[in-house]
Amino acid sequence: MTDANPDPGPTSPGFWRTDRISGAVLLGLAVAIAWETRVLPLGTFGHPGPGAMPMALAFLLGLCATMVIVGGGDAPPLRAIRWQEGGHAAGILGSAAFAALALETLGYRLTILAILVFLLGVMERRSPVAVALASFGISFGTYFVFADLLKVVLPTGPWGL
Amino acid sequence: MIETFQNLFLGFSIALQPGVLLYAVVGCVVGTLVGMMPGLGPLAGISLLLPITFGLNPTVAIVLLAGIYYGAMYGGSTTSILMRLPGEAASVMTCIDGYAMTKKGRGGAALAIAAIGSFVGGTLSLVALMLIAPPLADFALRFGPPEYTALLMLGLLVLAYMSGGSMAKTLAMATLGLLLGTVGIDTMTGFLRFQYGIIDLGDGLGVVPVVVGLFGISEILLTMGGASTATVRKPTLAEMLPTRTEMRESVGPIGRGSVLGFIIGIIPGSAHIVSSFASYAIERRVAKRPEEFGQGAVAGVAGPETANNSAACGAFVPMLALGVPSGPIPAVMLAALMVHGVSPGPLLIEQQPGLFWGFIASMYVGNVVLLILNLPLIGVFLWLLRIPFPYLYPLILVFCLLGVYAVNQSVVDVWIMVAVRGCRGHRDAESGAADLPPARLAPSHGVGDEQRRLGRPMRPFGPVRISFPRTGPLFLP
Amino acid sequence: MKRLASAMIGLALLLPATIAAQEYPTRPITMVVPFPPGGVADQTARPTASAMEKLLRQPVVVSNRPGAAGAVGISVAANARPDGYTILMALSSISVIPEADKLFGRQPAYQLNQLTPIALITADPTILVVPADSPWKTLADFVADAKKRPGEISYSSSGVYSTLHLAMEMFASAADIKLKHVPFNGAGPALTSLLGGHVQALASGPGVVVPHIEAGKLRPLANWGAARVAALPDVPTFQELGYKDVEFYIWAGLFAPAQTPAPLIGKLRDITRAAVNDAEFLGTLKNMQTPRAYLDAPEFQKFLDKDAARLAEAVKRIGKVE
Repeated sequence: MTDANPDPGPTSPGFWRTDRISGAVLLGLAVAIAWETRVLPLGTFGHPGPGAMPMALAFLLGLCATMVIVGGGDAPPLRAIRWQEGGHAAGILGSAAFAALALETLGYRLTILAILVFLLGVMERRSPVAVALASFGISFGTYFVFADLLKVVLPTGPWGL
Repeated sequence: MIETFQNLFLGFSIALQPGVLLYAVVGCVVGTLVGMMPGLGPLAGISLLLPITFGLNPTVAIVLLAGIYYGAMYGGSTTSILMRLPGEAASVMTCIDGYAMTKKGRGGAALAIAAIGSFVGGTLSLVALMLIAPPLADFALRFGPPEYTALLMLGLLVLAYMSGGSMAKTLAMATLGLLLGTVGIDTMTGFLRFQYGIIDLGDGLGVVPVVVGLFGISEILLTMGGASTATVRKPTLAEMLPTRTEMRESVGPIGRGSVLGFIIGIIPGSAHIVSSFASYAIERRVAKRPEEFGQGAVAGVAGPETANNSAACGAFVPMLALGVPSGPIPAVMLAALMVHGVSPGPLLIEQQPGLFWGFIASMYVGNVVLLILNLPLIGVFLWLLRIPFPYLYPLILVFCLLGVYAVNQSVVDVWIMVAVRGCRGHRDAESGAADLPPARLAPSHGVGDEQRRLGRPMRPFGPVRISFPRTGPLFLP
Repeated sequence: MKRLASAMIGLALLLPATIAAQEYPTRPITMVVPFPPGGVADQTARPTASAMEKLLRQPVVVSNRPGAAGAVGISVAANARPDGYTILMALSSISVIPEADKLFGRQPAYQLNQLTPIALITADPTILVVPADSPWKTLADFVADAKKRPGEISYSSSGVYSTLHLAMEMFASAADIKLKHVPFNGAGPALTSLLGGHVQALASGPGVVVPHIEAGKLRPLANWGAARVAALPDVPTFQELGYKDVEFYIWAGLFAPAQTPAPLIGKLRDITRAAVNDAEFLGTLKNMQTPRAYLDAPEFQKFLDKDAARLAEAVKRIGKVE
């Protein structure tokens, strides 16, 4: 995204303010959706086909995005943004992605255990005892309550865990 | 009328038997527990827990399910208010002002008002259900796809109206939400839209993973891990209870929410989503200081919570009076009845008076149990906020994963959550500086999804014309 | 982390293979139900599973994998490891989904030959119902009126190419009439729209329509089965009325992945045969007003082939809906 930024001077915040970037992303999305809709029959006005609704919405989205870009002149410049929680967010996102990959092979308990050990031990650097207690407690405890007591089917992995 | 009360007495004599009452309490507790999971609302709660009722006798099973249902409803509002974790699209409205109240240190009061509002809404609509169900049910069925679509459109207009920020951004997000709702099979033609060979997307993007992905963890990250943490801690007992002013301010919204919710609730479909945001919009309209909305207005919690609960109860009108599965939740309840050997139908009330009135009475009982259960538990719930941040967010992540996976046992749903979360990162990066309001996206995705499922059958009735050539039923101008 | 994950996944894949060598079954069996709890498939699966459990002395866990009108759950079972620990309770729609995929030129979610039948458990004929206040007293009235105004009488169904849709189209093409199709998302909304007066006809199972017939809200005109239904002894079948090829059932049957070893299939067949005679199982079916229609694998295969051919033809005849 920032590649498109035509090197703003040190004093001027330039054209690419936050709202304008958001608007540009949305506009791109609208164009992409319209392109993807091409495979669906549009139908006629009286008999709209499956493609009519997405196409109309994509058009509307593009319109709104343009308005956001036009009206975004007084939004804060990109540089004003700080992301203090970037580390946490990446860790959480990574853990969730790992869970999606591993849930059905490793089973619920082992996957959750791994996530908790990673988040508490590696990200938060808690003491090993606390990490062990919390990870085991939460992963096995929630499984016990939901799978054993409430019969919610949760995946199991090796060793029946 | 006298007969109704005799019947109700019969119902209470069943619902208050110690064995049955115990199940009502167990149902409420379990429902609350499940409802507190991000993503697990009443519908998911009942579908997930239906199997544990197999093997019980029909009356007890239905009482247990009613308890779970109400419990999930109450539990969902707890996490919405305290952590901004909505269980379903309908509780997104509660998040806005409920969470704002929590930030101001009025979380306990918000919880109490939500509980009282839910109790009043639930009870009032039960009375209505009991007294005027049969004529109302016939009327409700006449509400067909064109009218339903009109209602959804109304919901969207309300969404645009209640926006606080820039209109362009709100519209952009609402449109994006509708677009997300177009993913999946087109009910009219069987075409799969935006499916890309992923079979699981045939049913569309689930509301649960989208909502959890949008709200899930980011709010916690933003407010608790960031700079503005101090405000949420250690409320005293006095702070837990609503003040006199807060109580007075919530009387009107609760009354309006009850009526509005019940009326919208009896309409077949998932209209209760619309009830919560219609209520929010009305409250904002009639408020003396509308600028408080979004900053922790009491009415913004009381109205939608009441309407939501009242609508949920109204949804049982066609089910109980006519034996018609008029929405997803009544459908699961009816299926449960069938599993237990009760054939639901228009004759249910005559053939199984004990079961019918037992069910009605147990809904009353459930409401009371939950009120008794929830008010003292507010302190316990608030204690959740004191869990140190490094432990809290992994715990919430675990619950998000559990909830999202369990609803459909689908890893694809977990991926949807991850993807939505990933896109949200963009907003986190801006620390709210130029946010595209996510609160607009979730409900409009819900509406879009609903529109895709049910709205499009409108077409054979009369292709885009102003008047619908109808065969008789209700005509909506 | 990714490498670690794949290493652990690899390890996980190796493990159960070594255990499976002992006498089958040594661990719980999963019965996949491709629909949400409470539906027809689920209602049939649960009593079957609990009857099998008693005989196998291992839990049979019902796992609901709803999505895409059953395609998600069926493809989960079709692609499961053929070790006898995954079985599937599917409905008639199992043969329709690949046909619809073929029609749209899509990558099919699964092929029917990825699954091998174990047993047919239940089969309910659909019933043609109209509102009690409609002018049609008999099927002949209905057909005559439909011929007079083609495309005007409307019926609801649970979705495009759903079983309810196909049953109706089968009849319409045999009677040479044209009806207007209004698809909904599920059998519940389809029934609601009939009762609300938004459509004029519906084909659905006896369990769904009988209570409304008894209450005087709906009138049955005909039955898709080969024989009359016990609950509706006065309702003629289409075959009696001269529509020879109009036959349709909403059936539920057990399947296993096609590569499952023959001895395990044999064991599953034996267990199912015994399970359908279980008293508790029969009691539950009676409550559901669904008669047992047990067929063992060879006969079920024959039934399935005939049914699939009939449905495939109906899908082709309907073609793409514009």
